[in-house]
Parts: sequence; structure tokens; C-alpha cells
Amino acid sequence: MKTATLNKSDIGKCIDLLLQADLRVIAPRLQPQVDEDGPDALEVLTFTEVKSGEDHQVGEGLLPLNGVKEFLFAKHEPLFAYEKRGKKIEIIPVHHEYPQTVIIGVRPCDAASIASLESVFSDANAGFEDPFFTERRSRTTFITYSCTAPDSSCFCTSVELSPDSAKGSDLHLTEIGDGRLHVEVITKAGEAVAKQLQDLLEGEGDQAAREKAGAEVTEKLTRIRDSAPIMEWLMDTANFDDEMWQRLGEKCIGCGACTFVCPTCHCFDIVDENKGSKGYRVKFWDSCQFDHFTLHASGHNPRDWQYKRYRNRFNCKFKIYPEKFETPGCVGCGRCIRACPVNLDITEYMAEVAHKAANPNAMKADPDFE
Amino acid sequence: MIEAIRNQARLLLENGDVDVVIGYAEGSDPSRTTPIFIRKAEDVEKLIYDPRCINSLPLYLNKRHEYTRKGWKKTAIIGKGCDIRAIVQLIAENQLKRDEIYILGVPCEGVVSHPEKWDGSLHDGNRASKCIGCDVMTPHETDFFPGDKPDVDRSTPYEATSKNVATLMELELDKRFAFWRTDFDRCFKCYACREVCPHCSCNTCITDETTPSWIDPAAHKKGVFSWHLTRAMHLVGRCTGCGECTRACPMGIQVDLFNQRMKEVVQESYSYKPGYSLEDKHPLITYKVDDREDFIK
Ligand code: SF4
Ligand code: SF4
Ligand code: SF4
Ligand code: SF4
Ligand code: SF4
Ligand code: SF4
Repeated sequence: MKTATLNKSDIGKCIDLLLQADLRVIAPRLQPQVDEDGPDALEVLTFTEVKSGEDHQVGEGLLPLNGVKEFLFAKHEPLFAYEKRGKKIEIIPVHHEYPQTVIIGVRPCDAASIASLESVFSDANAGFEDPFFTERRSRTTFITYSCTAPDSSCFCTSVELSPDSAKGSDLHLTEIGDGRLHVEVITKAGEAVAKQLQDLLEGEGDQAAREKAGAEVTEKLTRIRDSAPIMEWLMDTANFDDEMWQRLGEKCIGCGACTFVCPTCHCFDIVDENKGSKGYRVKFWDSCQFDHFTLHASGHNPRDWQYKRYRNRFNCKFKIYPEKFETPGCVGCGRCIRACPVNLDITEYMAEVAHKAANPNAMKADPDFE
Repeated sequence: MIEAIRNQARLLLENGDVDVVIGYAEGSDPSRTTPIFIRKAEDVEKLIYDPRCINSLPLYLNKRHEYTRKGWKKTAIIGKGCDIRAIVQLIAENQLKRDEIYILGVPCEGVVSHPEKWDGSLHDGNRASKCIGCDVMTPHETDFFPGDKPDVDRSTPYEATSKNVATLMELELDKRFAFWRTDFDRCFKCYACREVCPHCSCNTCITDETTPSWIDPAAHKKGVFSWHLTRAMHLVGRCTGCGECTRACPMGIQVDLFNQRMKEVVQESYSYKPGYSLEDKHPLITYKVDDREDFIK
């Protein structure tokens, strides 16, 4: 693998070079607030398009609120247009732009989530392809950046990742001290980008320093769970109706925050946006936490209580994914923990399930477990 | 203070006066607390109250939330003043009966605006803006109140305009619109702002209606603007200013700026503040001879 070093202060120049090469560049950026110093103002960091190398927060802050999902799996997009003429309905294709894109400053958990989305949207084995996703995917390069300051919600090491993992990356950057970055060229796409940045890249990287830095950051993670026994317990279908679920999910209010911020959540809905006799058929994000997600036309709803919806989300991550795909259902980014307004913490759920797996009688017939 | 609350909660559960006590417990991280449903007297020790107790718990009393289907006959709930305003408003709107609930009022010194801003103490840099003009630090409607007055009294008139709203209202119209365009660009319609709101009471929200579809469900500009403007209108004179919609938004959008502005309009027009009296009737569904008419042109 090719390696090099780069000055951290040259990231802005990198962005400018990419922009000069007519690429669309997406990077973490702080968003303006009404009252920056006000008590209610939060630092709002999101992945957004940048127009200049001076305007970015690559390597600063932890995780942008939105993740990179929306640049591959659009929040909304028209599938086609239609028009009714008399008794005939004409289907009109809609033109989509798929600009060549580089996303820079992607953290390892987000990079690993791309493969999880691919499992759903472009599974070569299943012979299925979502063209909107694959078109974007094939034109997007990911420059990733090892974490330096994980927070208390991060738990990537519990799902076989790490804060310096290069999984899913095209070009990977790791801080190795003295304002230097160790650069790893991972894929062909990464090589193409490296070529564009060659004036800024120097010599060879420092593999030892990179590994040391990665190990030091990994030490900082405090939320550690063993997901193996959890998955095993979930595989036993009898446990699907365990009484525990009801207790665990009772405070969930069914907002979709956890699913919308989740880099691996991929559910969508389709509607016709009609205006008179014409309109668009539109695909947009949906969430299994919504009460009408599984509502049948008959009025029957198999997930009629909120805890069943949360149970589904948990199973989606730790049962359905491992059963169906090779990719992770959860990449441990902690976004759902930070976002949940009632502090329903997926790692607490994991702990409860692990406890239950080890103590089958826990929470049985006892309305208040423990 | 919390000892007195715990003792009372224990008594209520032991005597079978209530089926459940809804309160706050330690969360999964030192800066966070979490709603808890206590059903057994020995569990009351888990109850806590301090400036990290942000959640507006009365949302669990709203009929739309299925918790009311659990067969609880009587629920005790811990409430700070602003939460109790939400309870009072729910009762005024016939969502709840006064005798279905037992209010354990807590004296409140204010809460932190976001868990992320908690640094071990409450101060001007992290106190939620709703607390700055609060006039219910000693709650107005309780069944039990531990009696100790909060040791800070910073009550400025409730009429005080929110600084954020004032900042926004000073902007030229096109700049204000530009602000919302950028902010709403981030909205992906997760509806956390709706789900946390104690006053979003509709069983089927207008944005979820499909036959016909009134509001485009997709998160494009039209779908997002029509959602937020409709939501703001539906809460006029009903929003009790808990600020939860803004706190819950995972994309950092200050959704409640709309609601705060509408609160001011209702107050200027009708001298009405929701959530203070059980007998209140919403100004938009009542008529008084001396109602303002100068806006009718
Ligand atoms: S489930 Fe939570 S922690 Fe896991 S990937 Fe999704 S948002 Fe991140
Ligand atoms: S957790 Fe829910 S929203 Fe996310 S992918 Fe699974 S089913 Fe879809
Ligand atoms: S777990 Fe939290 S974020 Fe997810 S739907 Fe429930 S309340 Fe909302
Ligand atoms: S608004 Fe008043 S009662 Fe509510 S948290 Fe702030 S100070 Fe406490
Ligand atoms: S909580 Fe935020 S992102 Fe979600 S619908 Fe409301 S404004 Fe949009
Ligand atoms: S609109 Fe926002 S501030 Fe007003 S009651 Fe609802 S959640 Fe609270």
C-alpha cells in the first residue's frame, strides 16, 4: 500500500485542488446559529458542500450530525414524472445529476457504513441494484480521517471497528503529531485523488506512529459491549416474544430521530406528489419507528405498540443484518444515543439483552426487572 | 427536596393511590437523565431531580401516546413549573382529567438547554432560554410540593421577548427567510419535534394524512416548509414553551423559534398565556366583546 505524509494545515489546499479539478467536495462544516453565544445554541456540524478550502472543519469536532448517507441515498428524489392524458398515463423519465464527488473528513464508523448500505442497495449476489444509489456510489470517493477524541457515546470497538479503521475508505488520514497526517492510499479511487494532491503529499508515511496514535485513541473508548452473545440470543426466535422487550422499549416515543441519523438505516417510502393530472413519484426516507410504518390497508398493524417498533430496530441491527449480510448492521457511531430525546441508549439495550442471555430468568414475569 | 418527593411517591404506591410514578432517573451518561416509570415502592430511590432533568414528561400523558392504554387509572408525575403548565393545558384541552393525575411539583432553578452543554453546574452559558423569564419556578398547580422555595429568584417578567426571536425579528424579511432556508435544508422530517411535544395531540398528524395528502411527506423545501408552518399554526396559543422541539431536533434546528414568536403574538393580541388555569379557553375558539379588532381591515 502506498503511504505518504501531509500537513494538517494543507487540508484547505487539498480541498481547493479538488475543487479546481471540478469535483464536488463535501466536508464537515459548522452551520450558522441565530444566537451563537446564546444558551440554546449548539455547535451544529454537518456534511455540506464546500466552495472554498477556507470553509471546512475537517478533522475538527467529532461526527457531523447527518453522516454521509444522504449523499448516496438521497433524502428525497423523484423516480419519474407522470401525466394523465385522457385515459392514457404517460411516464416521463426524470433527469438526475450525479456529480463526481469527494467527501473529505469522514470518520471510520461512517466509512464502514457505506458497505452496509451497499448490501441493501446494490447486492450483486441478489442481482439487485438501486440505480440512484449505485450511480452516486460509483462517483463518490471517501477521504477518511481517524478519530482523535471519541465521546462517551462512541462504541465502534464493540462492533469490530476502531477509531482508526480504514474500512470503506479510499484515502485514509491519521494524525501522527506535529501537525502531520499519515496518508494511506487504499483504493484506485483513492489513488486518483492522491494524484490530484501530489504536490502536497510528501515522501512516505510513518506506519509505526500511525499505529501508536490509533491505539492511543482506541484506549479512550469507554462504552464496550460484546455483541456476539447478543446476536446469538436474538437468533433464537422464541426470544422475540420475551417480556423484556416491553419494559425496555416503554419510554420510546417513536420519533424517528435514531433512524434518520443512523448511517446504516436505509428504509424509504414512495408517494405520488400529484398536482392536477400530473406529478412525480417520489422516494424519501422513512423510519420503522413511525406508527404507520407497518400499518396495513386493512387497518391491522403488526407493530401496534412502540416497543415492538424499537424491538424491530434493535433486531434489524443485530439479527437481520448479521443473518442476511456480511456487513455490520450497526457501526457504533453513537448517533442514535446522542439524538434520542428520552435517552433510550442502544448500548444499554445491548447490556440488558446480554444480561438476559446470561440469565434467562431475568425480567421474567416480573414487571420491574433487575 | 428529592427525599420528600421520593417519600411521597413511596406512600402513593404503597397505598395503591397511583399505579405508576413518572419521573426522572440517571441516564446512560453523566450529562443525561431519562424518563422512568416506577411501579414498585422500593424503586422510588431511583428518582432524581436536578438541572439535567430536561424532558417534558407530560408528553407521556397525552392521549396520542399509547402509555395511556396501559390500563393505568391514576398516574403520579413529577413536574417542574413549565411541565405543570403543559399538564394544565392538557386538562384545559380535555386531553386529561385533573383527577386522573397526581402532580408531584418540584421547585426548579432552571434546566440546562442541552445535555451536551452540561458541565457540572447550571450557569448563564447553559441555562435553557425558557428559564430566563420563568414565572413558575415555584409551580402553580400541585398535589404535593416539598415546600422549599428555590434559592434563586431571577424571575423577570414572562413577557420578556426571547433573545433569539428578537434577533431573528430584527433581520430584514429576505434575510430571515434565507436563515430558515439554510436551517430547513437540514430537516429530514424525522418528526422528533412533533413526538416530544406535549401538545401535538392528533392521533393522525396532518402531515401523515394520505387521502388526500395535505403536506408532501418528502423532506424537500415544499415538504419541509409546509410541515413547519402548519405545525407552528397548530400550536398557536397552545404551546407552553417547554422548548423540547428544539432540544430534540437531531439536526440542531431551533424549531421553537416559530412557536415562541406565535406565543408573543397571542399574548400581545389577547393577553393570553396558556397553561396557567384549568378553566382556560383558547382565545381562538372563544369570543369576548372587547376582543381586539384592529387587525381586521
Ligand atoms: S444503530 Fe446507532 S450507533 Fe449503530 S450505526 Fe446506527 S446510529 Fe450509529
Ligand atoms: S432500523 Fe428500522 S429504519 Fe433502520 S434500516 Fe432497520 S427497519 Fe429500516
Ligand atoms: S429510541 Fe429514542 S430516538 Fe429512537 S424513536 Fe425512540 S425515542 Fe425516538
Ligand atoms: S422554565 Fe421554569 S420551571 Fe421550567 S425548567 Fe426553566 S426554570 Fe424550571
Ligand atoms: S426534529 Fe428537526 S429534523 Fe426532525 S422533523 Fe423536526 S425540524 Fe426536522
Ligand atoms: S411547540 Fe415546542 S416548545 Fe411548544 S410545547 Fe411543543 S415542544 Fe414545547
